[in-house]
Amino acid sequence: MAEEVKKRTTYRSRKELKPRLYIGDPMVAVFRTLVRTTINRPNTILYPWEKLIMPDCFRGRPGIRLEKCIECKKCVKICPNQCIQMVPIDHPTLGKVNRPQVYVARCMMCGYCAEVCPTNAMMVTPEFELAAYTRSDLMFDPFKLQYEHKPGYEVHSPMITPSELKAGKTESHDKGDMAIKDTVELDPKKCISCQRCAKTCPVGAITMADTGEVNPKTNKPVKRPVFDNNKCVSCEQCVEVCPKSCLSMKEAM
Amino acid sequence: MNIDLDFSTIYTFMFSLVSWLLWAVGRVLGFIGIDEGSFFYPIKQFLVDPQFVTFVSYLLVAVIYFVFVFLFAGLTVIWMERKLLGRFMDRRGTQVGVLGLFQNFADGIKTLLKEIIIPRDADQKVYTWAVVLIIATSAMLMGLVPWDDEFYAVNVPLALLLGLAVFSLAPFAILIGGWASNNKYTVIGGMRAAAQLIAYEVPMLLVVVSLVVMTGSLNFVEIVNWQNDNIILLVPLAIGALTFFVAGIAEVERVPFDLPEAEAELVEGWQTEYGGFRWGLIMLCDYIRAYIVCALFAILFLGGWLGPEPIPGAVWLLLKTFFLFFMMVWVRAAMVRIRTDQILKIGWRRLLPLAVINLVVVVLIKVYSVGGW
Ligand code: SF4
Ligand code: SF4
Ligand code: SF4
Repeated sequence: MAEEVKKRTTYRSRKELKPRLYIGDPMVAVFRTLVRTTINRPNTILYPWEKLIMPDCFRGRPGIRLEKCIECKKCVKICPNQCIQMVPIDHPTLGKVNRPQVYVARCMMCGYCAEVCPTNAMMVTPEFELAAYTRSDLMFDPFKLQYEHKPGYEVHSPMITPSELKAGKTESHDKGDMAIKDTVELDPKKCISCQRCAKTCPVGAITMADTGEVNPKTNKPVKRPVFDNNKCVSCEQCVEVCPKSCLSMKEAM
Repeated sequence: MNIDLDFSTIYTFMFSLVSWLLWAVGRVLGFIGIDEGSFFYPIKQFLVDPQFVTFVSYLLVAVIYFVFVFLFAGLTVIWMERKLLGRFMDRRGTQVGVLGLFQNFADGIKTLLKEIIIPRDADQKVYTWAVVLIIATSAMLMGLVPWDDEFYAVNVPLALLLGLAVFSLAPFAILIGGWASNNKYTVIGGMRAAAQLIAYEVPMLLVVVSLVVMTGSLNFVEIVNWQNDNIILLVPLAIGALTFFVAGIAEVERVPFDLPEAEAELVEGWQTEYGGFRWGLIMLCDYIRAYIVCALFAILFLGGWLGPEPIPGAVWLLLKTFFLFFMMVWVRAAMVRIRTDQILKIGWRRLLPLAVINLVVVVLIKVYSVGGW
């Protein structure tokens, strides 16, 4: 069989193309379809009235739980379409905070924002019917973005590297696992003890610790940031904010 | 079986209606002082003239007939095609309204509301009149084809010949329509249409000649009566029937012989520059012509309105016509379209010999079985 296929050239010989191929076969085939679709029903789904059942892992538009968000901006950074922005909101219980807003018109529903969110504040929803009359209707501000959480709406992306697989490891890393988490590294020579990173850190993973030295110029004790890697969510906020660029992310994998 | 709704009834009704209306108009005119001696008296005279009343009632009947036929035949056929094609392709056809029946009306309203755009450099008069020609010939054909032996618009002795003559005006209209649009695609489309339609006219006419030899008449009613007395013509003239059907598909520009329209290759074929309601009417006429070819086939080869008694003849004709149209849709769903040279080759090298063979067969039958001329 395979040999035969190999021998065939691009063109079929004339003998092969009998009228049956043009007329007989298609006529029979479509007639069979007619009978089948008449007895049963056509393959069409009458969409507004009938809907497909969504698979469990369906990823629709992103949704958010405002109380759980820690303002880490990881979602803003990861969004491939750059449709997330942090906007200030006035929340009745949280007060004045920044929360992500999503321009759903541009969203491609990749679910990366939900996957990367360290607190599972951002999640995927089963909503996909998002038609609107104006573009501005598709700018989902944090309140509109809110969605009731149900187990399964958060995205877990277990990770395992090929080398680990080869070595016989079966269980994979999950979100928050130290093994896959990027960690912050400090270049102590550059640090000027400004404390900005400690102030920025959304989870309070940075504490300023005394080094025992005293600055000869100002006579104040020199402090250096110390990172609590268990608390850190690798959001790079501290790296961004550092005026002397003395912080950097050390990639875990 | 007799049908109550025959034309004499409608005509009588219309005549009385028109004469009553005009009589009322005359009364009103008399009331406002236009009477004998007045300057406007000739107008009143003209309005109540029996000839004028006859003319108006004829006009009304014609309008009613054509509106009825265009709506009934055209829209049913279009609906059938959409529904059936849907089922053939494993999807649903139209869905607006009950069984999707209202989709056609929606489309009609849509095309009606569109702006009429005439290309700037087009030959305006020819551009307009080509459409009129196509619509007029289709309407004329519709009038020629009878529904029953007592239910027809006209019954001329040479109906079949006249019908084919009117049919063959289409290539002319298409050619000048394509030319007048002042667009290279439409000119090419028009030429291809003319070549194709003329190529298929010939075998069709030859088959008709064989029918004349067989039945000795060109009148639809007589042909059907002959079939009633002798045999359904499909049996002796199977080859001719096949030829007629294939040529008929080509004549009404349907897949696989739809090069004149050529949606894919030549934008929209010769009708590229036509828009709005003109385009809608052209499309409607396409389907009317398809209906006519099917009706002709049913009359010529399947015994027209012959059929068991309880169902009226017109319904039998409709059933046969719809069955044939179903065949056309089937062909459309299944076939691939073919090239110009292949179309012409099939027309001249396959169908023409088949038609001639058919003619020979008819002559032989006529000479040997029925006992010569
Ligand atoms: S789902 Fe993807 S595209 Fe949409 S907002 Fe989240 S990261 Fe951006
Ligand atoms: S990643 Fe999660 S916690 Fe961080 S800002 Fe976005 S929604 Fe809030
Ligand atoms: S230590 Fe830096 S990277 Fe870690 S959570 Fe705090 S700000 Fe983010």
